[in-house]
Amino acid sequence: MSRITVENVTRRYGDVRAVDGVSLDVAHGDFLVLLGPSGCGKSTLLRMIAGLVPPSDGRVLVDGRDVTETPARDRDLAMVFQSYALYPHLTVARNIGFPLRTRRQRRAEISARVAEVADILDLGKLLDRRPRELSGGQRQRVALGRALVRDPGAFLMDEPLSNLDAQLRTATRTEITELHHRLGRTFVYVTHDQVEAMTMATSVAVLNHGRLEQVGTPTEVYDTPASAFVAGFLGSPPMNLLDAEVVARDGRLHAVAAGVDVPLGLGDPGQQGEPGKQGEPGEQVRRPAVLGIRPEHLSLRPAASDGAAPEATLRGTVRTIENLGSEEIAHCRVGAAEVAVRARRPAGFTVGEAVVLTVRPEHTHLFDRESGRRLVWRPDRDAPIPAARVPVAT
Amino acid sequence: MTLATEPSVTEPAPPEGADGADTGAPSIGGAPMTNFDAPETPGGRSRTRVVVGHLTLAVLGLACIFPIYWLYATSLRRPNDVYEVNPLPWPLSVDSYRTAIDEIDVLRLLLNTTVVAVLTALGQLLTSLLAAYAFAAWNFPLKRLLYLAFVGSWLVPFQVAMLPNYVLLHQLGLLNTLSGVIVPNIVSGLGVLLLRQHLDGFPKELLEAARMDGRSSWSTLWTVVVPNLRAALAALGILLLVNAWNEYFWPALVLQRHNDVLQLGIRSFMSSTEGDDWGPLTATAGLACLPIFVIYLVLQRHVVSGFVRSGLR
Repeated sequence: MSRITVENVTRRYGDVRAVDGVSLDVAHGDFLVLLGPSGCGKSTLLRMIAGLVPPSDGRVLVDGRDVTETPARDRDLAMVFQSYALYPHLTVARNIGFPLRTRRQRRAEISARVAEVADILDLGKLLDRRPRELSGGQRQRVALGRALVRDPGAFLMDEPLSNLDAQLRTATRTEITELHHRLGRTFVYVTHDQVEAMTMATSVAVLNHGRLEQVGTPTEVYDTPASAFVAGFLGSPPMNLLDAEVVARDGRLHAVAAGVDVPLGLGDPGQQGEPGKQGEPGEQVRRPAVLGIRPEHLSLRPAASDGAAPEATLRGTVRTIENLGSEEIAHCRVGAAEVAVRARRPAGFTVGEAVVLTVRPEHTHLFDRESGRRLVWRPDRDAPIPAARVPVAT
Repeated sequence: MTLATEPSVTEPAPPEGADGADTGAPSIGGAPMTNFDAPETPGGRSRTRVVVGHLTLAVLGLACIFPIYWLYATSLRRPNDVYEVNPLPWPLSVDSYRTAIDEIDVLRLLLNTTVVAVLTALGQLLTSLLAAYAFAAWNFPLKRLLYLAFVGSWLVPFQVAMLPNYVLLHQLGLLNTLSGVIVPNIVSGLGVLLLRQHLDGFPKELLEAARMDGRSSWSTLWTVVVPNLRAALAALGILLLVNAWNEYFWPALVLQRHNDVLQLGIRSFMSSTEGDDWGPLTATAGLACLPIFVIYLVLQRHVVSGFVRSGLR
């Protein structure tokens, strides 16, 4: 097993910073997924860990040993490439045994090890074939086998499932997860597919424009996104992000925008005024923010039932409804914003219908409008409301 | 109340308002057909075009083959018939070959020519491979300039480099030796250019995979790059071999009055005073061409696929 540490690593190409001051610590046996959109620097970061690209600044450590200047072959890391990078002129058996021949192991040992790996990956009947005679899934397994045969300290994988069809991808995803559990080795896995990240990872590092946005377990990253980017990147459809203003009213904070009045569940109950005084003169604008609500946390109600739902918070009109089989995604116009709502099918609404969307306060997220960072509530019980109860960007 | 199955989407719906009435249009299974003008058949104009094209190619092919045929036809005539214009050399005679072998030791010259051509082509192939690999796989200072220098060496006319090379050979004492013919031609700008183009398209991930698997750059070249470059190397190798085999001027300059290679042996039968001895001359030229024909026939598949797939044209 290997512990991989990346300290303030930067990679510049001319004036462009492909990776910008990233620090990460991947523990022994961890399955870290580097997640982000195309061009965010995740593959470059993986290649720096592998030793294929030298960092412009920063250090890479494996098991505490500085390997920044160490050649790739001496890092005890194996890599699976996006295109599999199988040697076209070699059979499956010779492809898998290639790293062992490099290390000048005895022929009998190589054959035994290749057979063992082929058995694990169910490649036994394909050993005499060449890569061009294999399907995409089989090639992917051979690439995995070539990494596995060396028994490395850690596995690096660069979007290994991206060339597979949807069905095979799901099956291979499960196989890789099982392999990780079986081997207990460290995995660093690059993908832009959030489903892969959420289902396979023990921790997820989200990158954007070469910078690290957030590191955490899949649950943490999904439930408490550290930035509006992470919130908008994860989830399908992603989190609804609405420009709003946080105002204090009746001793509580509300996020308010056109068609939006969301009580945030923050404030001192002891200082509450009369409830239901929305938009009265006297309310104090605290700060602009971005309000985030996941589509599955919104509930749809007909506009007529608004009076019976005091927590009703967003008013809009259904514009389109997408049928996903077991669920429906309703896209509603709320003020100037588009809000997606995920509901079990049939949701019972029609296009053009006026609706009210409700959300529980604990399911709301606030982000700083300028930096995009998450705002957290730091109550200061000694200070009067709302002066000291300003959400703070993290 | 009855339960009825819904009509299948593949079932044709009855035409609206038609009620099965005959519309007068031809139909298959009741569905009306639309009449279209018959498309132009491949006969007529297009067939004429094909015939004219084939005829043109056949004439061009004959024009290419005819001199070679005439060469062998002349070499197989009786010595007194070499000026005959009858396209069929009859009666056949191998006297010209006998004369050529008696006068210029053809076998020795053939061996010398083979040594020179093979060593030159191998040397050029090796240096081209190493240089192209370096240019394609690494970034280093002055890379672009160096590459241009290689390409430039190919663009510089032979006559420009001829005298400096000759002087250098004289200083090295390599004049009148086969080494003198080979050494200055050991690097080919054309080879570097063509192989670099090919290697630029070589999957970089294969090189990276070899690095991850523990191979050195040298080992990667021989165990990963070369095996996957066989077609291009074969095509380029034959091109370089043919060039080296056909070389006349440089060997003539270096070997001076020694007719050590076949191409120079031919000139033994050329005389400004007594006239050219066409019989043995064509016989020697015919013998000089044979190895190239054999190589082409044996490696034809590699040559064609290499040239077509690699863009080495």
